[in-house]
Amino acid sequence: MNERVIRGRIDRSGALVSADAPLLRLQQRAGAGLDKPLALPHLARLVTLAQRLHRDISRPLYAADDHSDIHALVRITPDADGASLEITDWRTRPLVQPHIPPISEVAVVPQSWTWECDQQLRIVALRAASDAPPLPEGWEGRSLSEVFELQPDDDGRFPVLRALARQARFEGQRVRAAQTAMTLAGEALFDATGRFTGFRGSAVAEAQPSTGQKAGGALVDPAFGSLPLSDPQFGRRIDGALRGPLSRIIATAETISGQFDGPIRADYARYAGDIAHAGRHLLGLVDDLADLQNIERPGFKAARDEIDLGDLARRAVGLLGMKAEEKGIRIDAPRTDDRAPATGEFRRVLQVLLNLLGNAIRYSPENSQIWIRVDRDGDRATVTVADQGQGIDAEQQAVVFEKFERLGRTDSGGSGLGLYIARRLARAMDGELTVDSAPGQGARFTLSLPARDVG
Amino acid sequence: MSESVFSPGIDPPSPTLSARLRELADYLAAPTTGRLTEEQRALSLGIARRMVTDVAARLDPAIDPAALWNDWLRGGLPSAARIAGLCFARAEEHRWREQSAQRSSPPPLLSESEAADGEGIAVGETLSDLDRTYLAVQIADRRRFDALGNPAVAIADLDSEIFRTLLLDIAAWRLAEVSKDAKRAAELGDAVRAETERQAAESGIAEAGRAYCALLGADAGEAAAAAIARHDWPVLIALAAAAQRRSYDDMALALLTAESAALPSLFAPLRLDHIALAPIEASLAMLPARAVSDADHGEFRTAEGAR
Repeated sequence: MNERVIRGRIDRSGALVSADAPLLRLQQRAGAGLDKPLALPHLARLVTLAQRLHRDISRPLYAADDHSDIHALVRITPDADGASLEITDWRTRPLVQPHIPPISEVAVVPQSWTWECDQQLRIVALRAASDAPPLPEGWEGRSLSEVFELQPDDDGRFPVLRALARQARFEGQRVRAAQTAMTLAGEALFDATGRFTGFRGSAVAEAQPSTGQKAGGALVDPAFGSLPLSDPQFGRRIDGALRGPLSRIIATAETISGQFDGPIRADYARYAGDIAHAGRHLLGLVDDLADLQNIERPGFKAARDEIDLGDLARRAVGLLGMKAEEKGIRIDAPRTDDRAPATGEFRRVLQVLLNLLGNAIRYSPENSQIWIRVDRDGDRATVTVADQGQGIDAEQQAVVFEKFERLGRTDSGGSGLGLYIARRLARAMDGELTVDSAPGQGARFTLSLPARDVG
Repeated sequence: MSESVFSPGIDPPSPTLSARLRELADYLAAPTTGRLTEEQRALSLGIARRMVTDVAARLDPAIDPAALWNDWLRGGLPSAARIAGLCFARAEEHRWREQSAQRSSPPPLLSESEAADGEGIAVGETLSDLDRTYLAVQIADRRRFDALGNPAVAIADLDSEIFRTLLLDIAAWRLAEVSKDAKRAAELGDAVRAETERQAAESGIAEAGRAYCALLGADAGEAAAAAIARHDWPVLIALAAAAQRRSYDDMALALLTAESAALPSLFAPLRLDHIALAPIEASLAMLPARAVSDADHGEFRTAEGAR
């Protein structure tokens, strides 16, 4: 953009008679147009100056429209009929900069290092304050994750990797380096073309060495046995470590399957579609495992938001409506005036409803119907999802909420954790999730939560 | 940068009348000449202090840098004229870079979905030789800052003569401070020799730039044009210095004080046209209180070099 030359022409009377788009746009924003006097005061002054001097001049140009400042370099060549303009290095910046406190405010902290890395997280600068732990040898050009052993946060995520994806600042990235627990914070850096060039920030030694979360003893899970996955810390790291590569696999496979880069053999495109499908399944499994780990954590509590089950049901329909349409399934959602005020955590209830509705769509025959009803039963508010699928017999109903129970299905549709998690969530909100079904008559899943009286 | 506005080191003592009169006489002799701004003074002084501190730490870790600096602040820096160009070049480069960073376009805002898709951005891939040399230029450049991000001069980048002069000045101060016994003097002499040899073997941004430029070969001009577009000034200066076989500081000073008409000749070996050079011209034009190169500058350097 900034390498382009933007040209314009001024006639003898000072009117702009021709202009490339950015210049014309600016002129129009200033309330003028083509064949009208130049409405950009700074540029007009420079044109007058060049004409008075009868020679070329090159000057910085400052202009502004209603939402940005513009800096550029203008070369004005006067002649007998007016003047020609050549504008280069055109740069705009918004008038209102997002208010981000600079990291440098926290950089001057005792016991800290400052660091900088490039866009591929290779360290290009590492400096220690006088009282900070000594710097590791040979950090130059090494990966940030080699110099700092990254630790996931409480949600199993790595703030620095999220920030890398978002090209945004981050803080609270726990790391270990030089046998010391530290916390990284960084600002994203950009060059003049707006290209992300890396991060610069600080690494502050924690006051006390992190003891990890093993103090309470590792949880032993009957499903995972003594596998390290039963250790929450390990689970979070696995979650974080798998999500990125899986997203990449899915994205790449979908690109191939969609033949975005040109036609390929149909069977190859189909294989890529299978890979993307399997990848999505694995990603779903990672999500479920992360949830599982979260809700089985001792002391897990859901928030008590004031919610309306009717509203949440309609939101769930909005999110999955397309999926249903693909199979020709019609969803009969609660009407907008159907309300069921209740108490529960908004996003968790939505998660449960998405699971119930997703299952209903997945296991319903094509061109069938799904009903969602909300109701009040004493001190309970309920929402019921009913489908016309093959139904679940009594024996299966007894185990459908078990962990990894897929009722004998072997397709790649689910992990067998969804309903288990949904019921755990319902119970964590003082609610319940039940099923009522008979073979051949579809299934009705009902989520009940403490009702809320609206005055 | 706090040191851009506040005088580093200690609070300066009250000026003497004779100093004030000398200053006024200089001013009256050329009232219309632009003077150094407070920012330029503070930056250059801060750079000099960090350089002296770093060199002193190399010579003898037992030296108290604050005491050394306080003494030199009161009495004047022994090699003031010799290091003036170096400190000024670094300070002006810093001002230029800060200005570019403040004026650059805002980053693109990524949507949530773009951000989520990018969570697995490839990192830690194997480096090509070209990437490695580019990375080396960046690392060498970042060594030209202190731990708090203030501009500094890396010892590896120092001209060997200036480095040796500083070592000798500091050794003389140290000797005067502790004692004048022969053993101590011999130890300091040995340290000066050892550090001079060690420094000669070190490579800084100029060497990194030369390696990068050599590997780029005919593509150096293209890389320089890209650096200009990105306002990546250290890489540009390093490439231009390598192409002209000049030192980095020399090139930085030449560029930062160049008239617009002189820019094409500075970048002639890189074959950059006037469109490619326009962002430099625009950016330099916006730098307030910029000094412009003159013939006297050459004479000043020759005279100082001969001292």
